[in-house]
Amino acid sequence: MSTAERVVFEQASKRYPGTGAGNPGAVEDLSLEVPAGKICVLVGPSGCGKTTSLKMVNRLIEPTSGRILIGDTDVARRDVIELRRSIGYVIQQVGLFPHQTVGENVATVPRLLGWEPARRRARAEELLDLVGLDPSRYAARYPAALSGGERQRVGVARAIAADPPVLLMDEPFGAVDPIVRERLQNELLRLQENLAKTIIFVTHDIDEAIKMGDLVAVMQVGGHLAQFGPPDEILSNPASDFVARFVGADRGLKRLSLSRVADLELRRPAAVRLGADAAVARRALEGDPPRYVLLLDEADRPLGWVAEGAIPGDGALLDEELAVPASPLLDSRTTLKDALSMLLDADVQVGLVVDRKGALQGMVTADSIAEFMRDGSRASDQERRATPAAAPRGEAAP
Amino acid sequence: MIDTAWLAGHLDAILFRTVQHLYLTAITVAVGFAISFGLAVWAVRRRNAYGPIVAVTGLLYTIPSLALFPLFIPVTGLTDLTAVIPLVLYSLLIFVRNIVAGLDAVPRDVLEAADGTGYSPGTRFWRVEVPLALPLIVAGIRLAAVSTIGLVTITGILGDRFGGLGFFIFEGRRHDFFTTEILVGGLASILLAVVVDLVLVRLQRRLTPWATARSVASPTSATA
Repeated sequence: MSTAERVVFEQASKRYPGTGAGNPGAVEDLSLEVPAGKICVLVGPSGCGKTTSLKMVNRLIEPTSGRILIGDTDVARRDVIELRRSIGYVIQQVGLFPHQTVGENVATVPRLLGWEPARRRARAEELLDLVGLDPSRYAARYPAALSGGERQRVGVARAIAADPPVLLMDEPFGAVDPIVRERLQNELLRLQENLAKTIIFVTHDIDEAIKMGDLVAVMQVGGHLAQFGPPDEILSNPASDFVARFVGADRGLKRLSLSRVADLELRRPAAVRLGADAAVARRALEGDPPRYVLLLDEADRPLGWVAEGAIPGDGALLDEELAVPASPLLDSRTTLKDALSMLLDADVQVGLVVDRKGALQGMVTADSIAEFMRDGSRASDQERRATPAAAPRGEAAP
Repeated sequence: MIDTAWLAGHLDAILFRTVQHLYLTAITVAVGFAISFGLAVWAVRRRNAYGPIVAVTGLLYTIPSLALFPLFIPVTGLTDLTAVIPLVLYSLLIFVRNIVAGLDAVPRDVLEAADGTGYSPGTRFWRVEVPLALPLIVAGIRLAAVSTIGLVTITGILGDRFGGLGFFIFEGRRHDFFTTEILVGGLASILLAVVVDLVLVRLQRRLTPWATARSVASPTSATA
């Protein structure tokens, strides 16, 4: 059971006295709407006001002007303590209470809300399970006995304990090493598939922003919103020089990591089944530039390529000896970035896409990736996150 | 060196003086702690109060005890109050500095998390700040208790009604420096300090099971 509510910034500003516009942490006229159930990443260099913007939502910082709505209610009209109990909050240093056990930490907001101890304990165990920590091993420990990654998991569990509609995350994975960070990012995306909370996520890392965000808000020093949109739009159409510089010269490559093989329209290579007549293979190559035919086994699993010159005379049967296994195998979940990288590494610049059983679905070439990027036609973020669309199945080999 | 016959004949008196010693110490620690806690919270809330508070309590700490104890006789007469007031004044510096250090040592991220998850200021203070300050607060109580136990002996200059185990030290001087009495007064007082300190260490471990691995600093180094 989960609920989510939209979060709207309406010309929210935070000015600090003394200095003019452009002072660190200030926010200028921020207007954006995060639809319910989406992850919005605020990203920008330090001092751009992204953390200030985040803290205006749970009123750790009060805006100088403008307002912020959760659902349809101005947060300034709500009781600040009650407001904060209804918003999950995760910070970089985690801020677990050292004098409380992991179980008590997770049950913080339920305790503040006055839940019965038995219900609190059950909820804490459920959440520890959810974030991948065995309650029987972890619930009674103190935070000092946890690793950085484990602490951050407990921090996330604490934030969602009372099922808040909105989650604020301030550089939540900034203090852990890259391997743990990637794992935590993937776990959060997996959790979000079921939780569907409205998440506002602050980071200074553009790669993290692109990976985590349904929507990305790029901010620049002075607290100006430089661009707001889906990650692909930020990468393919930077709104200003600042955004282009911030996302980096390799934004083309970054876009590759946003799309998966499933987003491509797959082409069928010329293919024949093991044991087919050589004449069939020769016909398959007719009128086609490729000088190779793909040999499949009886379950459509690719065995390798047979060069045109190596096809024996008509009447002979094709066997495995003739095939050269040289293509990388991809599946529909492979990102285009990984796919391209594998193609560049391989002897043959054709990637074969197979399903879970290893049966051929189609092929990917560097050209087809380039063409896809040029057209910019890709599934929306939403579809990317959900299960991949069924890849077009080629007609069965004769 | 020790006259066992004297010892055997004075067990009752030693017990009485030990109880008196503990009584004066307990009152001093309780009252001193209560006053200091208020001062420390004030100092933490209003940073500019901290300097003056430490300056005044530090100044009190430098007053020679031999001069301070008789000072209150004209006001309070020869009552327990005359002994307790100076003892409390001496304890303030130790308490205030330790309680402030304890509250200051609460990590900022923990406070931010407490605010962000919806603790009210009062709940945050009693359920987060005070528990996390406990290791340093109890360290302050230990120091104050041990220091007070030493100072109680000096209240003997107020007369035979006072002094706790220090009574025997003053008696020994009067009896032509009778070593047994002086040693009993001094050693028993030391023993008392050690026992009280050990009890408080135990108490701290019980109160802060989460901090067993952490060392506890004793941030005060002033002397009387």
